[in-house]
Parts: sequence; structure tokens; C-alpha cells
Amino acid sequence: MTGSTVPVLALLGVSKSYGAARALVDVDLQVHAHEVVAVIGDNGAGKSTLVGALTGALVPDEGEVLVDGSPVTLSDPSVARGLGIAAVFQDLALCANLDVVENLYLGHEAQRGPLLDEVTMEKHAWELLNQLAARVPSVRVPVAALSGGQRQAVAIARSLLGEPRVIVLDEPTAALGLRQTAEFLTLVERLRERGHGVLLTSHSLADVQAVADRIVVLRLGRTNGEFDAARTSYEELLAAVTGIQR
Amino acid sequence: MGNDRVTPGSQTSLREANRARIVSAVQQRGSLTQVELAGVTGLSPATVSNIVKELTSAGVLHTAPTSRSGRRAQQVTLARNLGLVAGMHFGTRSLRVALSDVAHRIVAEQRMPLPPDHRADQGLERAALLLTEMVDSVDAVLSEVLAVGVGVPAPVDVRTGQLSSLGMLRGWDGAAVPQLLGERLGLPVYIDNDANLGALAEVRLGAARGKQHVVYVRASHGVGGGLVLGGEVFHGRVGAAGEIGHTTIDDQGPICRCGNRGCLEMYVGAPVLLDMLRPSHGNLTLRDVIARAEAGDAGCRRVIADAGHHLGVAAAGVCNLFDPELLVVGGELADAGEMLLEPLRTALTQRTIPSTAGPVPVVGAELGAAAEVRGALAVALDTVTIAGAGAVVV
Repeated sequence: MTGSTVPVLALLGVSKSYGAARALVDVDLQVHAHEVVAVIGDNGAGKSTLVGALTGALVPDEGEVLVDGSPVTLSDPSVARGLGIAAVFQDLALCANLDVVENLYLGHEAQRGPLLDEVTMEKHAWELLNQLAARVPSVRVPVAALSGGQRQAVAIARSLLGEPRVIVLDEPTAALGLRQTAEFLTLVERLRERGHGVLLTSHSLADVQAVADRIVVLRLGRTNGEFDAARTSYEELLAAVTGIQR
Repeated sequence: MGNDRVTPGSQTSLREANRARIVSAVQQRGSLTQVELAGVTGLSPATVSNIVKELTSAGVLHTAPTSRSGRRAQQVTLARNLGLVAGMHFGTRSLRVALSDVAHRIVAEQRMPLPPDHRADQGLERAALLLTEMVDSVDAVLSEVLAVGVGVPAPVDVRTGQLSSLGMLRGWDGAAVPQLLGERLGLPVYIDNDANLGALAEVRLGAARGKQHVVYVRASHGVGGGLVLGGEVFHGRVGAAGEIGHTTIDDQGPICRCGNRGCLEMYVGAPVLLDMLRPSHGNLTLRDVIARAEAGDAGCRRVIADAGHHLGVAAAGVCNLFDPELLVVGGELADAGEMLLEPLRTALTQRTIPSTAGPVPVVGAELGAAAEVRGALAVALDTVTIAGAGAVVV
């Protein structure tokens, strides 16, 4: 963040309605490089819609999406990827029958002449997984044989291949055991160290407080407070999530 | 080990005492060669060789060929199938759990970031679940775990197992961890201050191996310390011995979380260092600061050097009182290496009595961030009685 105060990714006054249901109402949000921002909220608070608006999965009715301070139109996810915004969704979208390397390079395999350059791909796959301190037994096992946490590491490693600046993680710990959650949280710290901006949504306040720099609370589609994670108590966050007047 | 030296009456009891002495030496140090074992126990090499042979066939010890200084030697460890022990280290912002066999070999290790101001009930619940999952992952069951050692970043009265400080670790005041965790796991649980455990690990397995009088300083989120006197961790009245983080640096200084003014922690603790860099460098973590300092960032280097100076000033008082053989610096800040240790040595030398032996040597912790959890494992392992150690039929 040295010197640059322009957020890599920002939302400005974004609203989105599904008929009468107002999923997002005038939401502002900023993600800087080298920062972990968590979005928390109850069911139906608008977290998934927010992720959709950030990753190009849906276009907001009102408001602007800014990348490096200039407005962009994220008409679909490939546009967002082109601008350096990668997303990992809850279902991970991995092919269970393919091995780790094949999953990482599916659709953009490295080639040497007419052949696949397996050596380069395998080396790079190990490099990425080691940087994330991910413990995968082998990059040549089918993804089906990996644990939930390891699969998540593979999905995150795949999102890193295009060297994105912001990584958006939707409910990453929802389906994980505690040991895998521990590994995932360590992984988020690594992403931050690599200089990426990270935005994650979660239900678990304890997980969010453990890794986030800033916590944004959504309630019924509106921003109900933005907190410095290091100086905010569990009770304050809980009050903001549930809407208790203090 | 003091009472081991008492010579008992009969031949049989003498052999028994010697067997116990060898097992306890291996238990404490993890692995030793037979020659080193003779040195440590004071027994003759022939006696050591005989007893090791006996205990190996009884399934208590395990030997493997190795070499020392180019000569063939026998490496002696405890037999692996005797069980597992667990170690836990609650830091201010992270939890580390390790599982090892009785030969000090780590079979599983896991780190987990924790929220600020975590509470005892939630922290212990997470640690217990994490340990259960880790035991599962090595295809063992919880009943194979013989004991659990726990380290916390606050003074602990080791006789009652209660945290004896007030306000040092909010949410943990007065918590009786051995009972709380013991009930959940159904295992014996032992607790100590984390810096004391770090000191123990460095003396047994790390940078201070073989030393008798050692001061260990742990600089991380908070600042703690451990005193090893005569090879044993010194606890003091209620476990607050060695709490170097709360020695006063400046009477007019800022108010510390302990309620006093100008404590060392208010000059060296990670939140203070990060706050100093916030206006110019933005939001950083301690690891960022060290990485940037290594890359040559002047501001980060300055912050680390000043922290080293303050640590040296506080450590000088301890060194003047105890004249240790070695000062070991651990905790996350110690990853900064010489950037931290050089100014520390200078400040220390200027404030301690000049000695014919030179100034007290200062080194970084050899076990790094794992020192505390290794100490927790060692404490757990110390409580384990190895069946058959004293009762081998000759």
C-alpha cells in the first residue's frame, strides 16, 4: 500500500434488485492491494450478490465498479479476469477426474512445439502450491483423491495463474473441517503477503477476525458498518450483523 | 536429574536406577548416541552399551547406526510405538498444535490464525477439535495420546494450572486450562507460560543445548521471557518469573495492557512497531516488516534496530542479575536476525559488567517459531512414565 491509496477494486453506490427484493442498496466497498477485506452478514444480507457484482457474474442496476480508480463495465467473468480480478466460488469448479496439473492448466496448457510442456507445467504447479504452503501429496493425483482443504488450495492456485491483483473468495470455509480451515486461513495470509488484495465472504466471525484487515458488515442489502479487524470485538461485529442498536 | 546421582544400596537397585537414568536422558533429549549417553548419565560406555541392548530387546529403546565426527556410532531413541504426545501453543494471534511420538519426531503439525482477544472457551474448543482431527489424520485414536502440553502467552501458576495474571490475556484470566481441556479430551494436560516452554525447548533441543544457565527472550505480538537456572526452568512464586516484557523502560511512557507505564512491550511489541510504520507504510504485518527490512527499506530497518536496542536495555538488567551463559532471542521478531541482534548486543554490552569471559553471547532461537510448541511437547513427554524402563527382567 506504500504510496498508492487508490483501491485496486471498488464499488461506488451499487444497487441491485431482483423484482421487489432489494439485494444491494447503495453499497460502497474498497479493496486495496496487500489487504484482506472480509464481508460478513446474515443469510440474505447480499453477500453473494456483492461477489457477483465484483466478479462480473451480474451487472448492478445502479452505481459503478472501479478498477484502479476508473469505472469499468464487468459484463461477464472473463472481462473481470482480464482486469485482474479472479474468483473462487464455493463449488470450486474443479474436474474431479483430472489431476492437479491438468486442472490448473485446463484450457491454456503450456506447449512446446506441437506437444504439451508437462515439465514446465508441473514445475510451475509445485512453485505455486509451495508459495501457498499448501500440502498436496502429489500434483499427479486426481483431484477426487484430495481433501476439501487441498482442493481449495488447488482452486486458489488456479486463480493465481493469471497473476490477478484481487482474489474474491465466496464462503470459502463453509464446507471445511477445522484442520482444513486452519490451512485455508494460513493460505489467505500467504496471498496477502504475495501482495494480492483478498475479498472473502463468510458466516464465521472467528475465521474472519483471524485473517482480515477490515471487516465490512452487510445487513439487508445495506452496509451496516466497516470495522478495523484488529480493534473490533466479537460483540460489536455481532451487533452490526444482527442490527442491534447500541 | 539431581536425585539420579544418589547411589542406592544393592546391585539390583543400582541396575534399575541406571536403566531409569538412561531412559530419562533419552526421553528428555530425543535422540543421543551411546557415547553421548555415557557423557550425560556419567555411566561407563560398557554399562550404557549393556543397558541399551537390554532395553532394546525389551522394546523400550530403538537403536540405529549413525556417525559422529566420521566414526560409527549407535543412535538411541525411544521406541516409536510407545505412544504419542501433543503440544499446543496459543499465541496472541495464532494457535499451533503439534503431535509427536515419544522419540520427539513430529508426525503432524498445524498452525491456525486466531482472532484478536480470543477467549479461553472458544480457543480450547478449537484446539481440542484440531487435535482430534490431527490424531485421525495419522490413523491413530485419541487414547494413544499419552499427555498434552499447553503454552499460553501469560504467566501460569504451574502447581494449580491457572493463569495467574490479570488483564494480560483478556478472556483467559484465571482459566484453569488443564481441567477445561482435560475434560474435553479425557487426557492429562499440563500448562506453562509459552516463553518458559520456548526456553526449555532451546535448552533441550535448540541453540542452548547443554547449557545450564540461559535467558530466553520471546519477542512477537507480546514480549515474554524464560529463565533456565541449573538446567531447569525457574518459575518463581506464581509463574511470573522472567516476564521481561513488563519491566519498566520509561516511567513516563505509555500505559501498557498490564496497567503500568512504559513497559518494554510498549516499545517492542508487534502492534506498537506496526503502529509506528502505519503513517508512512500503511497496514503491515510483522512478517511484512521483516521482509521489507531485508529488502532494504530504511524505515522498517530502523524500527527493528530500535526494537533490538530496547530489548538489549531490558535484557542487560536480567544479565547483570543472573550472568547467564547464553541469551537466546526467539519469537517472530527474531526472524529479523542480525538486524535485531546487532543493536541488541551493543545495548547489552554497554549496560553489563565487563567480564574476563567477554559479554554474554546473544543468539537467535534455533527452533524458530516452533520453539514454544516443541517445549509443550517436551513438558508432556516429561510426564510420561515409560513402562518397563525400571522393570526389565535380567
